[in-house]
Order: sequence, then structure tokens, then C-alpha cells
Amino acid sequence: MAIPISMPKLGMTMEEGTLLQWEVDVGAPVEKGQLLYVIESEKTEAEIEAPASGFLRHVYVDAGEIVPCGTLLAAIADAPDGDFDADAFRQEHDRPAEVESTPVPSAPASPAAPSQPHVGGRRAVAPAARKLARELDVDLERIPGTGPGGRVTREDVGAYADARAALVGVGDGIGLEVPRLGAGDPVLLLPGFGTDVSSFAVQTAGLAERHLVLGVNPQGVGLSDDPELEVHPVSRTAADAAAVIDGPVHVVGASLGAAAAIELALEHPDRVRSLTLITPFVHVGARLRAVTDAWTRIASEASAETLARALLPWLFSPDWLADETARERGVRGLAASVGRVRAPALARIAAGLRAWSGTRAEDLSRIGAPTLVVVAGADLLTPNGAAVATAIPQAECLEIRAAGHAVAVEAADVVTERLVSHLAAH
Amino acid sequence: MSRKLSTGRAINEALRIAMETDPDVILLGEDVVGGGTLEGDDLEEMGGVVGTTKGLVKQFGRDRVLDTPISEMGLLGTAVGAAATGLRPVAELMFMDFLGVSLDPLLNQAAKLRYMFGGKVRIPLTVRTLCGAGMQAAAQHSQSLYWITAGIPGLKTVIPSNPADAKGLLLAAIRDDNPVVFCEPKLVLNQVGEVPEGDYEVPIGVANLAREGGDVSLVGFGGTVPIALRAADLLAAEGIQADVLDLRSLAPLDEEAILTTLEKTGSLVVVDESTPRCGIASDVAALCVDRGFDFLNTPVRRVTAPHAPVPFSAVLEKAYLPSAERVAATVRELG
Repeated sequence: MAIPISMPKLGMTMEEGTLLQWEVDVGAPVEKGQLLYVIESEKTEAEIEAPASGFLRHVYVDAGEIVPCGTLLAAIADAPDGDFDADAFRQEHDRPAEVESTPVPSAPASPAAPSQPHVGGRRAVAPAARKLARELDVDLERIPGTGPGGRVTREDVGAYADARAALVGVGDGIGLEVPRLGAGDPVLLLPGFGTDVSSFAVQTAGLAERHLVLGVNPQGVGLSDDPELEVHPVSRTAADAAAVIDGPVHVVGASLGAAAAIELALEHPDRVRSLTLITPFVHVGARLRAVTDAWTRIASEASAETLARALLPWLFSPDWLADETARERGVRGLAASVGRVRAPALARIAAGLRAWSGTRAEDLSRIGAPTLVVVAGADLLTPNGAAVATAIPQAECLEIRAAGHAVAVEAADVVTERLVSHLAAH
Repeated sequence: MSRKLSTGRAINEALRIAMETDPDVILLGEDVVGGGTLEGDDLEEMGGVVGTTKGLVKQFGRDRVLDTPISEMGLLGTAVGAAATGLRPVAELMFMDFLGVSLDPLLNQAAKLRYMFGGKVRIPLTVRTLCGAGMQAAAQHSQSLYWITAGIPGLKTVIPSNPADAKGLLLAAIRDDNPVVFCEPKLVLNQVGEVPEGDYEVPIGVANLAREGGDVSLVGFGGTVPIALRAADLLAAEGIQADVLDLRSLAPLDEEAILTTLEKTGSLVVVDESTPRCGIASDVAALCVDRGFDFLNTPVRRVTAPHAPVPFSAVLEKAYLPSAERVAATVRELG
């Protein structure tokens, strides 16, 4: 018996990956959880662990090759030798995804994000891009640039316009960017303050194996519309999310996304099949308020990478921060995510967050959906998540002691595993 | 029918056809005869410094092929006068660098007379001249000064990139009723290519799309066209398809052809072996910004020689000239 190893899909926008290196020689034994290989996708490296113990029996893709997600990379077998038909195994397990020749809607955004400051100097925009934006009536300010130095090119405008055309209408002429992945019972993901759904990259990949994953980028996030209101209430995010879905779905929210999920569960209980609240809160503490203030300010004055570096100590545990490789990877991922939220939108969202504080403290007991609450032991921003679990009648609580507020990133695998089983149970 | 000729031979053929078809066409210049051509003298004539006019004196005689003293001012002054009074002279300015000692007949006479006399005089003058680097002719015999003549209203300036165009452009230049400077880039003088037989003209002021790509536009003229074509080969191997536009004529400039390729690709690199200031490359770049602004998807880039004299050393001269590698690298930087 052998287990297939395939190019993983680590995010909704990932279509292909480069196999950088095999960490185990062909024929050598591997332990489950051992580092097996390293891939690179969208300028980010990821170390992939062996999903099972055995022997690295056969390698189909050599280091340096770029292959679509789903391509069979290797086989892990029970024994180092014995019968193994490499070709038949490939026939059975090689499932490369079709790589689209045109960029997928949000694809250009993630890699380009760190190179574009929100403000601070004129953005570089090719004249042809400016003209096309005028013709297509799209807002240049919101288009991520993929040219040298983050210059917005004609192609970027075209890709953005195509992505805009794919937005999901939620009423009042407002469209939301809702990346979809996988098939099965739908799961709705609601990201936390100032981030887009790419912050759920690992969960998305894990859930997509048996669910249709719908990542909802709220108003002002990613390509989603950003009506210039003074306050973007949490209830709007919940109402928009309700408009995206038809029947009852599994709802997963992190931090501010958890607030929106609570709102959704209370206002539209018929739409919520199960609830997962990651680092939730009902009161906005002074520290959370101060951090979101700083976040908003830095976003308007500095690059996405600077913002990500400033946020890191608030979001991750000291243990995690001590690992330089993880930290730098975290900076890149976080920068890509926070770079997709415009500074003016952050101010509106922060105002909505403050206004929401305390409004649902008494209502948690009304939540009827089976609920999983994930809390983190080193969470500086929402340290009272366990109280939310206590207040919700049918809630289970998973506490991950050695993780910070961004527990879905820091302890991505544990959270994903529990999430998958929670959803399977309901 | 066509056969392979060098650019120098193609020019020689154009001169012969022009002289056969029009008795008013004369050649004059330093050493255009250059040697023993007297009756009974069996010395081979030089036919100019690189032999371009070889054989013409034997066919057309000394009345129509004239060696002049070493005075470029006198040579061009004579040529302008001959043109004003009914002949169709083809003067050879041995190296374009010698413009310095012969500019007035061109700048103030040839270029102005038709205008000054209200159209009552025409100056059907052609000035052939070697230009550019590539022969280790050093700083005083290697300059590409076509930007001077192209900048003078009343003068036309053309520059072929291959033997076939050299023949057709020269015939068009000689038959034009206005003064035309015909540049002979050293980089293409010995280049061999198919040349149609017989009498034909390549119209002045019409650029040629030498290669069709679509991702990026490479604009060259004269010696930089082969460079741009080689760069296009390098880029094609990387999946970048380049348009290569051969300007052929610097004045008048085929602005529409430049804007057409720019509109198609959004990216343009202009390659000029001359120095960068006040040059043709700058002019093309200005045109792109001025009339093609909304087409630009990347900055317009110029690949030129440095703002420095042409070096004598073969190694330095090679480094001085634009290369296919430099053009390809510039395209890659556009992103």
C-alpha cells in the first residue's frame, strides 16, 4: 500500500507550485510529521510535512519543477522495496488542476501587495492602465500593480475589471469578492480585522477537500466594494454574508470575523448550520482598541510590510516569534493579507468594531448552533474568548496554550484538524 | 529576380541605374574616382574610400564622375550650385564627421533656397555619407551625426538597414527634387542580402515593420536594425515576441508607424548607435509620450551609445555600440 503525495493548494489563488527541495532521499524512511519537501508559490515558501510514516518509495517531480496543484509528487510506501508500479500509481493519483492561462481574479493582489504603499507619494500607473481604467470605469486606487516597483499595468487593470465582474452582489449595488474553492457542504469564512480571507489559507486548503469554501472579503477588503460610510457596522458584514449564501452553512469567523459570525448566528439563525469562533470577543478591550488604532494609522503611512512587522508581536506568541524562518514567512503572508485592505476602509471598520463592543454580551445564550470556540493562551488582543464559549449553550472550547491571537495561522494545522472534525460532526 | 549583394554593391547598382536613366545625374566627391582612369591607363580606380563608386567612371566618364579637391565646403557648395542650376548631383561626403567643415551649403543653402525663392528653385541634391562606428575608424570618422541633418528643416535624411533598402532608398533620394542626406552606416555596409534586380524605389518617409511580434516594440534604423532583430531572437526564446520597426527615414519621420506599433504593444525600446542627447532616440521617445501617451504600458527606453566619443580600440568600440544583449536586457527590465 502506498500513499500519494501531491502538490498542495495552499490558498485560493494558488494554481501551481515550484518544488524547491526534497528533504528525504528516495528509499529513505519518513516519519509522519517529518519535513518532507519545500515548495514555493506566489513568492512564499512552504515546508510540507509527511502525512504518514513509511518510506519515500518514488519521486515523480524533481526539485526545480513547477507543477499545477494536485500533481502527484511522490509515493510513500510501507516498505522500501517490493511490488510498486510507479506508472499505475501515477495513473491513479495524478490529478493536476487546470492552470488558467489568464490570471484568476485575486491572483495578482497577493504577491504584489507588499510592494505597494497605501499612500505616500503618487502610485506608479502606466498611462495605458490609466486610460483603460477610465474606459472601464474602475477605481485605479484599488488596483494592485504587478509591474516593476508595483507599477499598475494595462494587464492589471484588465484582470481587476474581470475580477470585479465576478463580484457577488449583496444588494444596494454593492459587490463582494468571494473566492470559492472545493465542493461539498458550504463553509463560510469571515476574516479578522484588517485582513482578507487569505489569512485562512491553511484552513481553506484543508476544508476544500470536502467542502465548498466561500471566503467572504467584507466591504473595503480585497476587491470588495467600499462605500464611503463613516462607520462600517459589524451587522453589515453579517448581513452581507447572509446575502452571499442560500441555505444553512458552516460559518467560521476569526476575531472581528467571529463578531460578524455571532451577529449572523443571532440575526439569521436559519443560515447557520454550525459556528466556529476563533479568538472571539464581545467587549473591545483597551489594548485591542489601541492596536486597531495603530493598525489604521500605520496602514495609511507605511508599506504593508512595515505594517505586518509592527503587528507581528501583537498577533503571535513569543515562541513563534523566536523562529526566524517562521517569522519572515509570517511577515510575507501577513503583508500580503493586510495589504489588501485600504487604509480608509480600516477606519470605517474600526469604528464599527468599537460601536459593536458590548452590544451582544447578553445575547450569546440565544445562539443555538453547535459552536466551536478556539482560544489562544498567548492572545493579547482578545484574552476573554473562553468566556464566550461559556456563554454559548452548545459550545465546545479548544484552547491552544502556546499560540497568539493569530492562532489560525500560528497553529494552523491543529485548528484545521479540529475545524474539519467539528464540521464533520454537524 | 534578385541576388545577393552587399549594401555597398547595392548602392553602386543604384548609382549606375540612376545615371543610366537620367543624364543629369553626376557624382562628385573626394576619391570617388580615385586612381588612374585616363585613356590607356590600366590602374584600377579606388571608387571612393571604401570602393562604393568603383567602376562608374569607366561607364560614365570623367564628365559625370568627378574627383574634387580635399575641401568639403567646396564640394558641397559645388553640388548645391549644380543642383540649383539643373543637374541632379550626388555628392559623397566621405565621412559624416566632415559635416563640421561643410555645413553651410547644406544648412543655409540647400535647405533654404527653395523656401527663400518662393518655390522657384529646386535643389535635387543627394549627399551620400558614411556614418557610425564599427570599422575602428576612431573618434573623428565614426560619428552618427544624422541627428544634425534630420533636425534641419528643408533637408531629408534617410538611412538604410539592408542592401535592398539601400538601393531603393538611394534611387528615391536621387530622384527627389529636394536635398536628401543618404547615410551609409558602416555596420551594414558589408552586410549581404537579397537585392531585387532592376529599377525600383523605396519611398522616403515610410518605415518598415521588419518583424512582427506584439509584446514589445523595438525601433531601430540603419545599423541598429540588425541589432534589434537579434535582440528579438533572444527575446523570442524567452517567449517575448517583439515588433521590430525599421524607420528607414529620419526626416520625414514615419510617426504613424511608430504610434501604430506602440499602440499594439504598449512598450517601446528605441535603439540608436548615436549619442543620447538631442538625438533620434530622444525624438522617438518624445513622440511616444507626446502623441502616444495613452498607449504606454511601460516607460519608453532608449538604448544608445554613451555620451562620449567613439573609441578606437575594437574592444571599447564594441562596448560602446548598442548590442542585442543590452536591448534584450532593457526589454526584460520593463517587466
